[in-house]
Amino acid sequence: MSRLVVAAAALVLGATVALAQAGAPVPHGPPPGPPPPYQLRPAYPAGDRLKAGGDGRVLFEAHCGYCHLAGGMGTNLVTKQQMMMGRSPDQGLLANRTDLTADYVKAVVRNGKGAMPVQTRVDITDTELDAVAKYLGKAG
Amino acid sequence: MKLHLPPRVSPQTFAAALKAYAGVVGKDWVMASDSDRDAYSDIYAPGDAGQWAASAAVAPASVEEVRAIVRLANEYKTPLWPVARGKNLGYGTAAPRMAGAIVLDLGRMNRILDIDPKLATCVLEPGVGFFDLHDAILREKHPLWMSVPGNGWGSVIGNALDHGIGYTPYGLHARNLCGMEVVLPDGDLLRTGMGAMDNNPAWHLFPFSYGPTFDLAFTQSNLGVVTKAGLWLQPAPEASLELIFDIPEEGDIGWVVDTIAPLKISGLIDQNVFIPSWLGKMVLKGQRHDFWDKPGAIPEWRVAELLKQYKLGYWQVALRLYGEESVIKAKAEIVKTAMKRHLAAAPQENWWRQGDAIGQYEITMGVPSAVPLQMSDWIGGRGAHMGFSPVVPATSAHVLGQLKRSRKIIADHDVDFYASFTIGGRFANNINMLMYDRDDAPMVENMKSLFNALIAETAKAGYGEYRTHLGWMDPVMDTFNFNNNALRRFDEKVKSALDPNGIIAPGKQGVWPAAYASERHSAPQGAASAKGGKA
Repeated sequence: MSRLVVAAAALVLGATVALAQAGAPVPHGPPPGPPPPYQLRPAYPAGDRLKAGGDGRVLFEAHCGYCHLAGGMGTNLVTKQQMMMGRSPDQGLLANRTDLTADYVKAVVRNGKGAMPVQTRVDITDTELDAVAKYLGKAG
Repeated sequence: MKLHLPPRVSPQTFAAALKAYAGVVGKDWVMASDSDRDAYSDIYAPGDAGQWAASAAVAPASVEEVRAIVRLANEYKTPLWPVARGKNLGYGTAAPRMAGAIVLDLGRMNRILDIDPKLATCVLEPGVGFFDLHDAILREKHPLWMSVPGNGWGSVIGNALDHGIGYTPYGLHARNLCGMEVVLPDGDLLRTGMGAMDNNPAWHLFPFSYGPTFDLAFTQSNLGVVTKAGLWLQPAPEASLELIFDIPEEGDIGWVVDTIAPLKISGLIDQNVFIPSWLGKMVLKGQRHDFWDKPGAIPEWRVAELLKQYKLGYWQVALRLYGEESVIKAKAEIVKTAMKRHLAAAPQENWWRQGDAIGQYEITMGVPSAVPLQMSDWIGGRGAHMGFSPVVPATSAHVLGQLKRSRKIIADHDVDFYASFTIGGRFANNINMLMYDRDDAPMVENMKSLFNALIAETAKAGYGEYRTHLGWMDPVMDTFNFNNNALRRFDEKVKSALDPNGIIAPGKQGVWPAAYASERHSAPQGAASAKGGKA
């Protein structure tokens, strides 16, 4: 990776880390808005986790959100990879991608990829994964 | 992953056991395909993950199901390896110590049973993750803060039971546990503390039992399966101030510890103070090859360049004070005066007050994050890490001695140095991160040799680890050698009495029930070479 991309990626990805840990004072200002999605995922849907037909977006945010919503570790790493491929940083959010297929999503979840660990069927059931793969798999 | 049957269990009995478990939890929650076994393997395994292969996993949804499974395990002699969420990354993930054990995955038991904002407690099932509890507190707007470890992905209870540490005033997580419900190895159900009385409202408030108090005996333990526990939380403070000191030189850690530890012991600082070395910051800035593209440790001259370029000290102390603003101001003056005796530069000061937003990476404010795991990407490939984690007295003599010793061993193995000292009071946890690419066999072998040398040399100097990876549970237990390993002999006497069939987590932390004593050295990862490591 070129130094330029490193610097750009660090700026985009690490800006909050750098600021939060080593930078600007947190302003004493008006009450904040709602917490960012990474901090407040939707609740796990109630009911039978083995039943098909769940809401892919809700299931994705609830089960995958701690890494794959804005600011999560997965988003940080995917953003870096996407930028190295010359794509815009917003492609680090899986929900923005249009080149993912459902089968690819399932394969990564069940086999892991790079720093992403394999997910068990307790982490996400096969039927939940079907719904998530359908939601993310915009390329079919 | 191929099927490893539990010791002395025939394929026929194994199949019958799985069928019996399915009768309790439903067939979809008995997971025994090759792909399931992969999913429960150690994703950071140093070497062949088959050394710690689960034969299957079973996932109950209630305490009654746990009891039924434990009774069946006794009947079929199929040992269980309980995990809360199975995210013990760096220490074995969800994988069992003994190949062939069945993972008892408690991830479905993820109810937050109670949050009491007045007395600042909660009652959780083991499947509740740090993110789950954090979301619930935010949703209900409870004035409570958590304490979180580096990996917020794991279980709140599981981490406390494994002696995890965080970086707030509640950072010794096992100390926050108060009142447990435990399924014993024979399937009986115990409640500790005041919970031993039906409906006692002080169960999660008073930390002792009438008579002997066994709560901590169920931590890093194989004496039972904790199915719920009370946990104390931090009341949200009125304000908080972060003081960030960049500490220029490696050897400065001595005066830093001598300055901060007395303030921590006196109570002026109430936080667990985390002091990482520079690499802790660099791993978030890119991959190793972006900064040094040769094998072997990054040379000192290049480290010096990087520290200059990125304006990093060798260490960083990001110390946080909590409470009323006027009290914080007074405390901050004392801390700053003490630090100024050694460091001219004033710290950065970040104030937070009630109503202000909290950044999503504020681990010292109890916000869970998985971002520290990003270090897996530093080496590249299937990145992984293990932690070598001795406990040392919080004085400069001990800390510098440990630093010098581990630095030399790590340098002799040509590995980058990445360590932290967390001052928890009278002691410091020294965590040395060893990062490797799982698919680079020589690198993994070097890490194993390094790990063995660190354990052996550190024990020779008189220090022990607080926690370790599956592959070194026996060698580390060996180091606790007072009176011919009296601790282990006691642990095993108790274990074998309570669990004659040895079906709960055999080998956990090097404690083997009589029923599986012959398995003690079956996975000689560390045992074979801990005494003869390089360096």
